[in-house]
Amino acid sequence: MATTTKKSGFTSAGSKVSYQPEQKFDNKKMRHYMEGKTFVLHCHHYATLFTQLACDARDLGGTELLTEASCETFYEVLCDYFKKHKVSDTTDRIAIAEQYYGYVGMGTIEFNFGDKEGFAVMEHSHIDEGWKKKWGQKEEPVNFIGIGYIQAAWGAVFNKKPETCNVEETQSIVCGSSNSRFTINW
Amino acid sequence: MAIDRSQVISQLSQIKIKGDSNGMVPAFGVLVQQLPANFWNSFSEKILDAAGDALYDDAEGLLENAAAECGYHTGYGIITSEEFNSVVGPMIENKPEDILHGAYGVFTAWGWANAEITELVPGEKMVVRAYDYYESDVKNPKKPFAYMIRGVSRAFMDLAYSDPYPKGFGKFKCEQTKAIEKGDKYGEFVVTKA
Repeated sequence: MATTTKKSGFTSAGSKVSYQPEQKFDNKKMRHYMEGKTFVLHCHHYATLFTQLACDARDLGGTELLTEASCETFYEVLCDYFKKHKVSDTTDRIAIAEQYYGYVGMGTIEFNFGDKEGFAVMEHSHIDEGWKKKWGQKEEPVNFIGIGYIQAAWGAVFNKKPETCNVEETQSIVCGSSNSRFTINW
Repeated sequence: MAIDRSQVISQLSQIKIKGDSNGMVPAFGVLVQQLPANFWNSFSEKILDAAGDALYDDAEGLLENAAAECGYHTGYGIITSEEFNSVVGPMIENKPEDILHGAYGVFTAWGWANAEITELVPGEKMVVRAYDYYESDVKNPKKPFAYMIRGVSRAFMDLAYSDPYPKGFGKFKCEQTKAIEKGDKYGEFVVTKA
């Protein structure tokens, strides 16, 4: 659980839903599916090297492109899940968005959405801890995939265009903090 | 060949992974995550588009290298894991060739690609054929797009024939000679010494 003072707002508190995806292996195509979408296992080397590539290509908009790919992908994942499983309650949607992140191994995340702004806290982060494991601490935040996920979650939870919310990482595990924090504005 | 590929795939494809109470998956000596394949394809397409003609080759190299490092480290974790040893271990007669064949069984079982070795000259050359792979989902790429298979394949040859882990990385190279995403019936990957 995130050790943070919660403002009043929409959170997952009180929700009783549980993220339970349908998973299957197609032994003809040899593909794994989660909720009908092909998924693959990869390691922190792969994820952090993609992130490093995005950083190296910053002049080409690399970090924004990584966030964009994340946002587009996870927005579809969450919207499809909400639709298929008839998850319409805001609290439940936030709970699913939090649980999905941990289920797929990206860490823990807690959301708190107010009227015009909100925040998210990660006590654990695959990207940050993977980066530290591979290269050690870094002065700047690197969780561009996480930023995209937060945009996607906000958009899916509130039926908004995800790219219309601005997310900024203000504190990072990769920089030595005990958790990562993100501000969300729309 | 001693490796029963269908048995390896049948058993190892059933392994289900999910995050622990910290939302993390520490396994095979690395941190693992399971994301939609579309995410990886999407970023690869976007960064190659942004790179343009001038930087296209550089971007390709970095995408392939990400997979190679992944394949080298995670591959080592896999072939030294309890799961691998319990399923593939009893089938191994010739090292490291049978380990390589077994590794492609895992490669397939985990959904990276339906791929197998079709030619192997120990220490010199390996040809891999992939009948389906998620990178082939990309529509109309400018060039063959299976950077993940390319990188992982050369990394597997490093694990088999280069200096012992972790000092043997980068001694092989891989060329994709056929591509489903370019209209071929299967993908083909030729690994030779760098």
